[in-house]
Amino acid sequence: MIQTTGLTKRYGEKVAVDAVDLVVEDGSVHGLVGRNGAGKTTLLRMLAGLRTPTSGSVSIESRREELAVLPDTPRFDPWLTGREVVELAASLVGGADRINEVLGGAGLSDAGDRRVGGYSRGMLQRLGIAAALVGSPRLLLADEPASALDPQGRREVLDVIGRMRGEATVLFSSHILADVQEVCDSVSIMEEGRLLFQGSIRDLLIGSATPRYLVRIRPDSPDPRPALMEQSWVSGVEARSDGVLGVSVRSLEDAELHLAGVLASAGSGVISLGPEAVTLEQAFLELTS
Amino acid sequence: MSLWRLEWLRLTRTRRLVALVGVYLFFGLLGPLSARYLGEILDLAGGELEGAVIELPPPTPVDGMAQFASNAVQIGTLVAVVVAAGALSIDAIPEMGVFVRTRTRGLGRVLLPRYAVTALAAIVAYVVGTGAAWYETWVLIGPPDAAGVLWGAVFGALYLAFAVAVVALVAARASSVLGSVLISLIVLLVLPILSVVGSVGRWTPAPLSVALAELPAGGYELADYAAAVGATLVAIPALLWMAVRLAERRER
Repeated sequence: MIQTTGLTKRYGEKVAVDAVDLVVEDGSVHGLVGRNGAGKTTLLRMLAGLRTPTSGSVSIESRREELAVLPDTPRFDPWLTGREVVELAASLVGGADRINEVLGGAGLSDAGDRRVGGYSRGMLQRLGIAAALVGSPRLLLADEPASALDPQGRREVLDVIGRMRGEATVLFSSHILADVQEVCDSVSIMEEGRLLFQGSIRDLLIGSATPRYLVRIRPDSPDPRPALMEQSWVSGVEARSDGVLGVSVRSLEDAELHLAGVLASAGSGVISLGPEAVTLEQAFLELTS
Repeated sequence: MSLWRLEWLRLTRTRRLVALVGVYLFFGLLGPLSARYLGEILDLAGGELEGAVIELPPPTPVDGMAQFASNAVQIGTLVAVVVAAGALSIDAIPEMGVFVRTRTRGLGRVLLPRYAVTALAAIVAYVVGTGAAWYETWVLIGPPDAAGVLWGAVFGALYLAFAVAVVALVAARASSVLGSVLISLIVLLVLPILSVVGSVGRWTPAPLSVALAELPAGGYELADYAAAVGATLVAIPALLWMAVRLAERRER
């Protein structure tokens, strides 16, 4: 488990990480989300022991050898072969018997004997993953591991991270919210060094974003907006350009009980009606706006 | 793939070993040759400068070794410093620094092989150059003082070990290979200036760098280098200890 208490990092007057209390459960895949400059990399580097906190504490239930760090753009001595990079990592943290396995898992079996200097960006990223996994880490800290990859490379990286669930704790930062939503059990949202939210993605989607119903009515029907705005459980009605009304409600339960009745009493012909599927992106923007 | 083998591959695959040995061997062969044929070279160039006639004394074996020692101290040390900075600047490429920092408990485990292999390579290259200069001096001019050459080579090798240790310390703080090279060269250039300041200078490693020229000439005794040897033997482990401490405290 990772636990930080009041973790703070200052650079002069600038506060890069501001009193962060983070908890990441054992065996989970946790996403660290934030804009560029939100403090994600600084937080990860403090967790990895690469930077010293100005104040606060870090508690990690893993030994140094059980921790692996994957930078956003892994680089290695270009005159080494991919296999030699993994062998070097294995000599430092163990796992010599897994070299072929992790190279194969990273899709580098055929390229393993080629010099790293000729690798593409995606191959370097996959080599970084192989070098990180060869020691069977109990904790993987990955900084934007898929942000610079093509769709296939991203897919492979996310699959690797997903497969680690239950066997290792993974904390990875990303600004690609779809990746986080797909692969993570829990998520933290950072903004200007502060932790705005941490918890399960379900809690974030339900609890943080304003519940909203989408209503499509017949164009020749009476406008239901005056009737809707009179309801105490309606917090706003927004007419969208596609002819759909976005009805913001205080709770989904109220909408489920009363929305159809209000529309019917207003004489509006309803084509479709349903709760808006809130995306992580919407929740993120709502939290950070 | 041990960290020791990594350093060997760094030297061989990047041609750094070839560069080191090549430079020392080149000057080892060129030094005695230029000492032997300096007069002829000047004659070919005209022999007179605005009416002044240059007359050189017959070359001696001391001249042959001195020519090599002079070039070895300047160009050879420069190349050794560049090679050492490339190996010892572990944070010059931050992602590679992260790779080793997050996989080792103490950076001494990383820096020691880098220092030892680089210093050994520089010393081997220096010895090869010295051997070439010795042989060619013998063939072209005459036999130099064997004991003086041998002790001069030992002291020169010790100076190179010190120079690489200086680079290790500088590289622990500098943010680039170029920065490590420039700062190390400044430090190594300041030492000879100190060495001319009376008795203080003999307590710096600087006199070791010119022992190969001084000892065969007969002007100095081994005892004259005792202080420099003692200071260097103390300075090398001290510099390496500080390098490890600084590198470990550095934030990435």
